[in-house]
Amino acid sequence: MNKKIPVIAKNQKIVYTAFIIVAIILFVLTSLYTKFNIFTLLKNSDEFWSFIVNDFLPPALPKASSIGGVLSSVLVTLALAMASTTVAAILAFFVALFGSEKISPFPKLAKYVRAVATFLRNIPALVWAFILFSSLGIGTGVGFVALCITSFAFMVRAFVETMDDVSNDSVESLLTVGAGFPQRVAQAIVPSCLSGFLSWFLYCIEVNIRASTIVGMVGGGGVGLTLFSYIKGFQYDVALSIILLIALMIIVVDRITAMLRKELQK
Amino acid sequence: MENTLTNSDIYTDSGNLSPRKITVGCKDKNKFIPRFMIGVLLLAVVSLVYLNIDWLKIAGRIPQIGTVFFKLAHFDFGNIGLIGSAILETVSIAVLSLLYSLVLGIVFGMLAARNITKIKWFSVATQSFFTFLRAVPTPIWVLLMLVCLGMGPEAGVAGLCVHTTAFFTKSFAQSFESISDETLEALEVTGTGRLSVFTNAVIPAAFSQIIAWTGMRLETNFSECAILGMVGAGGVGFVISRNLQNYQYGTAGLAILFVFIIAYLIERLFVAIKKKIQ
Amino acid sequence: MDSILKFDNVSKIYSNGTQALKNVSFSVNEGEFISVIGPSGSGKSTILRSINKLIDISSGEIYFDGDTVSVQKGKNLRHMRRKIGMIFQNYNLVYSLSVLQNVLHGCLGYMNGISGVLGNYSEEDKKRALSLLQELGMKQFCYNRASDLSGGQKQRVGIARAIMQNPKLLLCDEPIASLDPSSAKTIMDLLKDMTHKRNIACIVNLHQLDAALKYSTRIIGLSKGTVIFDGAPSEMTDDVIESIYGTSRENLMMGGAENE
Repeated sequence: MNKKIPVIAKNQKIVYTAFIIVAIILFVLTSLYTKFNIFTLLKNSDEFWSFIVNDFLPPALPKASSIGGVLSSVLVTLALAMASTTVAAILAFFVALFGSEKISPFPKLAKYVRAVATFLRNIPALVWAFILFSSLGIGTGVGFVALCITSFAFMVRAFVETMDDVSNDSVESLLTVGAGFPQRVAQAIVPSCLSGFLSWFLYCIEVNIRASTIVGMVGGGGVGLTLFSYIKGFQYDVALSIILLIALMIIVVDRITAMLRKELQK
Repeated sequence: MENTLTNSDIYTDSGNLSPRKITVGCKDKNKFIPRFMIGVLLLAVVSLVYLNIDWLKIAGRIPQIGTVFFKLAHFDFGNIGLIGSAILETVSIAVLSLLYSLVLGIVFGMLAARNITKIKWFSVATQSFFTFLRAVPTPIWVLLMLVCLGMGPEAGVAGLCVHTTAFFTKSFAQSFESISDETLEALEVTGTGRLSVFTNAVIPAAFSQIIAWTGMRLETNFSECAILGMVGAGGVGFVISRNLQNYQYGTAGLAILFVFIIAYLIERLFVAIKKKIQ
Repeated sequence: MDSILKFDNVSKIYSNGTQALKNVSFSVNEGEFISVIGPSGSGKSTILRSINKLIDISSGEIYFDGDTVSVQKGKNLRHMRRKIGMIFQNYNLVYSLSVLQNVLHGCLGYMNGISGVLGNYSEEDKKRALSLLQELGMKQFCYNRASDLSGGQKQRVGIARAIMQNPKLLLCDEPIASLDPSSAKTIMDLLKDMTHKRNIACIVNLHQLDAALKYSTRIIGLSKGTVIFDGAPSEMTDDVIESIYGTSRENLMMGGAENE
């Protein structure tokens, strides 16, 4: 028998092979297009390391007079994320009610609500920030609005999906008792979906903490801006401390949201 | 504990004939949720006050938003070649960094998975290191790479790789750890080496999850990559920010539309793949 | 007949202070089918697991096929382990892989470096795996995912994987404890049949006394880490059973029947 005995079922083998071939083709094409070569990068790694060792290490504290400013900029970033996510969540809750065919009093409009949300969501927060900066000028308020837009759109989709998943039967049964739209929302949607909504809200907080740092970098204020100004001023060792501070801030927030999420699912 | 509380509560309710309202909710419902919501609202209000945003000024400029969008919607196809190549570059950077990170993520994921490395402190150290890398947002890494490597797609790929690898390491380690210790033991007693067990049993077992994580990450990588240009790297983000700053709204609008279309296509693709896998 | 495995005064004390084995000595010859019986916690699992060094013993010595088990390390340990097949209560297959792949895992220990890592199985190995599956009545399932099989079928794949190793000794840790009575009988029949044909010595941990009496050529009775019986099933008197389990045979058979 010359033919090889296959080890796995044929259709599975096709999937694996296709995956590997696609990966290799993509690798070659993108490498050619970006002219990214891992070997030239490795060849120049000496320079790279000396740069890290000499310029970044060890991390240095900013001047004593500006430490207070750095810390308050962290607070601005946190406040920005917290406020924008909460406002976006409240708006998203009401809009999401109209985005699900089963619940909305105007089922025909549901599709359009979702389409608008899809459009808003698929444009990154930073692009929104830039558009708004060019019309409203830079500042924390504009960063706030930019963050609101993407997290609002994200939560509309998440909330609609939660409602579609969870409350199909209960909504139907309330429909048959003749409950009106506000009653359905209050008696079926809220009780069955609330913890799901809040869980998405927490996820959004995590995302927005990162996003508000970045939006800050380009003009929204907060710790991102502080970092950016140190990098622009070639004070890399101070910049490293601020990066560590950002990492600490995000890890702490992630820990807290993880704890709260556990509590919610009890 | 909670149950006994509930029972006694019902007792007093039914035993007590005072004209108290009859409650209809479950007794042991999650009391945490209302507290949590009140806490969030308070924090949000405090945050808004702290931010001290000049709402009047923003409100006064709202008409300008309308103007900007109006201008953005008037697409200028004059620079479509430039936009096209910028988009292609962005997609290439996103995909290439994804592929490099996929390989790195599998290697580091193996080192970080407790059941495979079997040296506990080593896994914990690896995981902590990558938690740190993951906690710093991607654009910051790209910014640092720009400083280290200079302008160009290298900085973009390398910067994206840092965060993506960190993400994959954590996710893959999680998937690898979900294979039971007993199964690994069963293969080890056949006299198979550690690495062979990993490639022949652990990776195939985690394969569908690896695909799912990769698809999910492609979505993130593309949108991250689209904004990289705005902090100074190349690609479509640079086109958008440059043209917005120069009031070339038509070109910027078209570039934004392209970003939207590609992000939307990736999302659809991923949803389709997810459905197929399930 | 040659002795293939020898326990010489083996003791095992776990780090929490439990004495699992106390001066255990016995030896196993080629082709024997030995059942190890005893109540839970009597040290059955410890005996099995110390043979392929999943557990390190505290004192005494185990000799397998001319080698001293406790000094084996790294490559030598792997080479020793591939001569010992093992079957588990929970089958321990890789459930997302095909049945054939799971069986072929048995020959990974014989493959060198890179081809083992890549899972490049030789055609002979594949043919052997398929004929083993045929012998076990599982050939039609060879491309099914292991997760789609029933318990008895999974255990048959487990047996195939172990036999695939060409072992000299087969260790079975409660092979039928998670199975219904009819699958349990099939598995015991297959075990006995396959090991007898290939002259593989087999040590089976069993909860079911009647299965032990029916299938074994020799029974080792354990109580609190000590061997208190070692002999043919025919020598197993009611007194012996009572001293092993601390309860009379009638009670036990009831329990056994319920178990099955």
